[in-house]
Amino acid sequence: MNSAGQFGDLATQLLTESRRSTATNTLLKYNDVLVRSIIREQRDLDSRIEALLINTAPPDDDDPDATLDAEKQKESARVMPTVLLYQTAILRNKRCLLAYHQHRLEFLKDLYWSVGGALPLLLSLPPAQAQGQPDIRSKLSPHEVDFLRSYAASLLTLRTEAFSSAAGAGHGLTEDIDLFAPIAHPPKDLQVHVRVVRDCGIVYTELGAIDFKRGHRFLVRRSDIEHLIVQGFLEES
Amino acid sequence: MSFDWDDDFNAPIAGPSFVDRARNAPEDDDFPIADEFGGGRAGILAQDVAEDTPFQQLIRHWLNERHAPDILPGQELLLGRLLDHIRKQSNDVELLRADPDSSEEEHFRIMLVQTEIERVKFVIRSYIRTRLHKIEKYARHIATTPEIHERLSKAELDHAKRYAKTVEYHFTQSVLQSLPPEQRKLDEDVAFMPPMIPAPDKLRPVFAHALVDCPPMRLPDGSATEMQKGQISLTPYHVVEHLLLRGEVALV
Repeated sequence: MNSAGQFGDLATQLLTESRRSTATNTLLKYNDVLVRSIIREQRDLDSRIEALLINTAPPDDDDPDATLDAEKQKESARVMPTVLLYQTAILRNKRCLLAYHQHRLEFLKDLYWSVGGALPLLLSLPPAQAQGQPDIRSKLSPHEVDFLRSYAASLLTLRTEAFSSAAGAGHGLTEDIDLFAPIAHPPKDLQVHVRVVRDCGIVYTELGAIDFKRGHRFLVRRSDIEHLIVQGFLEES
Repeated sequence: MSFDWDDDFNAPIAGPSFVDRARNAPEDDDFPIADEFGGGRAGILAQDVAEDTPFQQLIRHWLNERHAPDILPGQELLLGRLLDHIRKQSNDVELLRADPDSSEEEHFRIMLVQTEIERVKFVIRSYIRTRLHKIEKYARHIATTPEIHERLSKAELDHAKRYAKTVEYHFTQSVLQSLPPEQRKLDEDVAFMPPMIPAPDKLRPVFAHALVDCPPMRLPDGSATEMQKGQISLTPYHVVEHLLLRGEVALV
């Protein structure tokens, strides 16, 4: 571990990273190295505590040796402040570690919603195709990819189950309400002018099949292509 | 039929005027065309004018949900009714659109109905997403607190449990399993540290709008106070919680 710094210095670095991520609204690369060094610090602190406490182990009940007991109490009073310090450092480091991971999870969830729940799109976006958007997958730890997968699966289950038991509604919620459509502004018009930013093939709309080719403009029903806007294939103009 | 939406009704101040407009808007959930098909709905509406339409109720629940720190009881029945209504109106619209005899004026009305449907869907979506957000935020609290379970629909509760499990698994995989065994717990209760399982903050101040004359309520300092109809006050959430559940106040 970093012997020059104080306990908890590394954890502070980790938190600074989270804060920077919030401030700039970017996803930073998962800092595996730092997380590992903090975990090493935790183990180190733990063994230090154990080494200190080994002399103050509670006396056996069968051994009522008063002088030894008093000595142990003295020893215990001597090391307790140190133990308390280590213990505080351990607790703080742990909370920082968890906070860092929690913060990343929240950020990933936001990302997931912002692309309209298209997980494959989010994970497989090659850097060239997404303008200015760097490759996201390389910034995730394997566990975070797993998390996103199970999160998406859970939401899918929710959508198929939701309100199927509600009065009269025979089908799930999914058919009527697209949960992933944007909720920032209520729709004002039925139709919307869009400009195609990326080819997305033939899409069946109210007006029939439309082949969305890059650079073309269309006037289409908003609800038909809203998900394509969210996923960045079309742009409102 | 259609009423004025604020451009930016995420702004907190937009609340009360919006509710009032929604409440005073004539026939805002229904449309003359639909009556020819739906039959009977006009009768239902007319017999009790004071009764809110389902959409007005939804608007109120939606605003409450957005302003309350805690999760409120889910409105599955109401949503089911609205979804049915939407489905029916969409079908009616399809029928009318396919009818070559519809006049120009009717086409204009159809467009209005379609827009309205999209907007109702928007509110439903926002309502569900608001609940989802809270459910995920407090997932671990929900999973361990049976009292909250009845406020959620089965699907929501399942999602909360799954989510709590996923997060705990993620923490275990990324951090906890590498720590010494006695540091691996996720529910430590340490003095001077915030609890590890976040719970809704019921002390958070909310703006409560009295819909009727309310019975006296007890303030945190021990004194009692009453809210007259129409009065708006800023109080901690837990003070008005029971009034809110009874529908006597609305959060704005």
